[in-house]
Amino acid sequence: MSVQAAPIATTSTARRALGRLAWTLVPAAPFVIVTLIWIMATGILNPSKETLPPVTDVLASIKELALSGQLATNVVASLYRLLLGSILGIVTGLIGGVIVGLNRKLAESLNPVVVFFNAISGIVWLPLMITWLGIGNALAVFLIWNTVFFIVFQNAALGVQLVPEVYEQGVRALGGGRWQTMRSVILPGALPYILTGIRTGLGFGWRALIAAELVGAATGLGTMIFDAAEYHRSDIIVAGCLIIGVIAIVMDRWLLLPIERRTVRRWGLVADTEKE
Amino acid sequence: MSLVSVQHAPAARPIPVPTGWAVAARQLRSVKILFPFIVLVAIWWAIQAAGNFPDRVLVSPQRVFDTMVLLISRGVIAEYVSTSLKIIGIATAISIVVGVPIGFAVGANRYAARSLEGFLRFLQGVSGIAWLPLIIIWFGFTHATTLAVVVYTLIVPIIFNTMIGTRAIPEHYGLALRSLGAARLRLITDVYLPGALPSIVVGLRLGMGYGWRALIAAEMLVRQGGLGDLIFGARTSGQIDRIIGGMIIIGTLYLLIDRMLVQPIENLTIARWGVLRK
Amino acid sequence: MDAAANAEKIAVSGFRHFFDTEDGPVQATGVVDLKIRAGEFVTLVGPSGCGKTTLLKAMAGFIRPTEGTIHCDGKLVTKPGRERGVVFQELAILPWRTVRRNIGHGLEIAGVPKVEREEKVTRLIDLIGLGGFEDRYPHELSGGMRQRVAVARTWAADPDVILMDEPFAAVDAMTRLTLQEELGRLCVATRKTVFFITHSVDEAVFLGDRVLVMTRRPGTIKAEIDIPRRAAGGRDWESFTTDVEMQGIAERVLKLVRAERGLTPAEEARAAAGAGA
Repeated sequence: MSVQAAPIATTSTARRALGRLAWTLVPAAPFVIVTLIWIMATGILNPSKETLPPVTDVLASIKELALSGQLATNVVASLYRLLLGSILGIVTGLIGGVIVGLNRKLAESLNPVVVFFNAISGIVWLPLMITWLGIGNALAVFLIWNTVFFIVFQNAALGVQLVPEVYEQGVRALGGGRWQTMRSVILPGALPYILTGIRTGLGFGWRALIAAELVGAATGLGTMIFDAAEYHRSDIIVAGCLIIGVIAIVMDRWLLLPIERRTVRRWGLVADTEKE
Repeated sequence: MSLVSVQHAPAARPIPVPTGWAVAARQLRSVKILFPFIVLVAIWWAIQAAGNFPDRVLVSPQRVFDTMVLLISRGVIAEYVSTSLKIIGIATAISIVVGVPIGFAVGANRYAARSLEGFLRFLQGVSGIAWLPLIIIWFGFTHATTLAVVVYTLIVPIIFNTMIGTRAIPEHYGLALRSLGAARLRLITDVYLPGALPSIVVGLRLGMGYGWRALIAAEMLVRQGGLGDLIFGARTSGQIDRIIGGMIIIGTLYLLIDRMLVQPIENLTIARWGVLRK
Repeated sequence: MDAAANAEKIAVSGFRHFFDTEDGPVQATGVVDLKIRAGEFVTLVGPSGCGKTTLLKAMAGFIRPTEGTIHCDGKLVTKPGRERGVVFQELAILPWRTVRRNIGHGLEIAGVPKVEREEKVTRLIDLIGLGGFEDRYPHELSGGMRQRVAVARTWAADPDVILMDEPFAAVDAMTRLTLQEELGRLCVATRKTVFFITHSVDEAVFLGDRVLVMTRRPGTIKAEIDIPRRAAGGRDWESFTTDVEMQGIAERVLKLVRAERGLTPAEEARAAAGAGA
């Protein structure tokens, strides 16, 4: 009774439905605009196929790559390296981060080294590691491990340090031992940071992998792009970039974000910045 | 959002708590920080001495040090460093000048913000280096190519964080100023710019972290000077001493830029206003 | 301060407002007619969600009324203006400006020369008891001090009319009493026209020359109570609480407001989700 229908009801219902539709469709707008500009650019400027391949060529080459099995081979090779390197990075980063997070003295003395090696993490190691490991999986896995490790390590250490001491004291007061506190306080308390670290780390790892594959591998999406450049096949380069972006988005949005949401946000531990 | 929560984990991030890490960071100036490095160098030396490796695989710390001294004294390092610094400097300037206004414009409208968010995420998923082969076709093996890759990498976090920062400014700040008679330009200089600044600095910092790596990677492939060229070029001729020396310089330089340029901005403004630490 | 003491300063006529929401348009206020004389301190009490803030925002020029008009000094209000200052419930002073620069912000916007500005600001800082804190940033101040800065910023710009939206709702109870007394003194000293929103009956009666009571949403003004004039500077809580006549008025207003609190929880929630205030 306190809320009354207004005379402007009819127009605003239509407008609202329209607004909702716009809200749903709006994320596609930049992609559509860029595609249109691309189509117009190829149509009007008529550049050579090397400079700017037409949209149709890129779609055709995606289809061709997919049908020939080349795409699957390269995607699998890249994802395999990412998986291996990330698992190594997450496990070592987690163990190291928790240990350092729990031990203030150790944290203080190790910090300079961590800061320095973090500054050269990833791609900077490429020349040295090509010399030591040669071209291949080991090189890519090392670079991913090196990238993921520092991000997970720093986040885990920070997360552990930020767990309020009261929680720990609460479990101690209930008679909990060191392991008990670890399992029921430290790890869940640090989880938001750990998950953020893993999610961020995988994003960085993916980018480091593509860079590593440009020169340091015989298969993989990065190699595919780089080889295409030799033959000036711009359509394959663009197709490869699109596929790389799609995989990154799918990984982040549909795999890592839901995990983060389901565990951490449910506990209300992290300010939900995802709402619109 | 992940591009923002990334602020928990960029390269050499300042650790925003007055606990172990901050304390440790303060000790950076003291002698203590050298200790773990001395241990590392000692291990390296021991391995090198025990293993009897060929020079193409591992050299002694002494050799690396000598090479660095030689390269520095001959001005070789200065040349490579200045090439890299010039590109990252120009890229940063372009990214700020172009990215911040875009971020404001997009942040002022929720539809624009929503539409660009997904697109920016996509762009971030395709690392700048993946576009390198195409950009080489466009610009050849030139500094322009390197610059394009670095700007591409740097500008996304700046746009994104400016946008987030603008959207996070309380609405009544603007209302209050309008009731004091402020015009649009005033609102931008007095509310939006300072209000979004903490977020812009976070974006800048993230961007510099990504951009620096993209720069090194691009230089390795473009081979027109710069630190990436230095270490990658040394690989072809098997000069391990140059590679390791170059890596040390890259790390040190990055820390210097971060500590002496970006952190002071943060401390001067943001910490003083008490608006960043949530 | 104003020669024409009985001149009409603000005139709200036939005002009614609707908000466009996800669930269709929501009526924020009923029809409101209201006149405020120059130099008058008018307080408005009403239950949460009755549309108080909507009315104030329209008077400030932040929103255009769906129906009706608002005039200030005979001019139609269409946008915010320097002659109508606003003090918000939320802290609206800027965290990146010191106390001095926040208070002087309105003058700075108006293009007042620095020397003159500084002089005026210094006087206000003394008046609100913030001497020694001129160069502090808001985050270094207590809640009460911050709200003082917000009030001083509005006063410094020297508007004819000051619109205040529950400015003391966020400070602690003890500080609130002090701030209310200070505001009372400030108003007596400067003779501004003030429109003040609150949901505290005591605050409304204590500060107002005239108290308006609003019904629950969609709010209309259901009663008007004139408060007998007090001696200049005579607004302090001690004499207020011991004054039988004042207490009688407060009780009467309270009854009027109480009658509006008959909302069911569901209605309350809906009210809270809407326009706020």
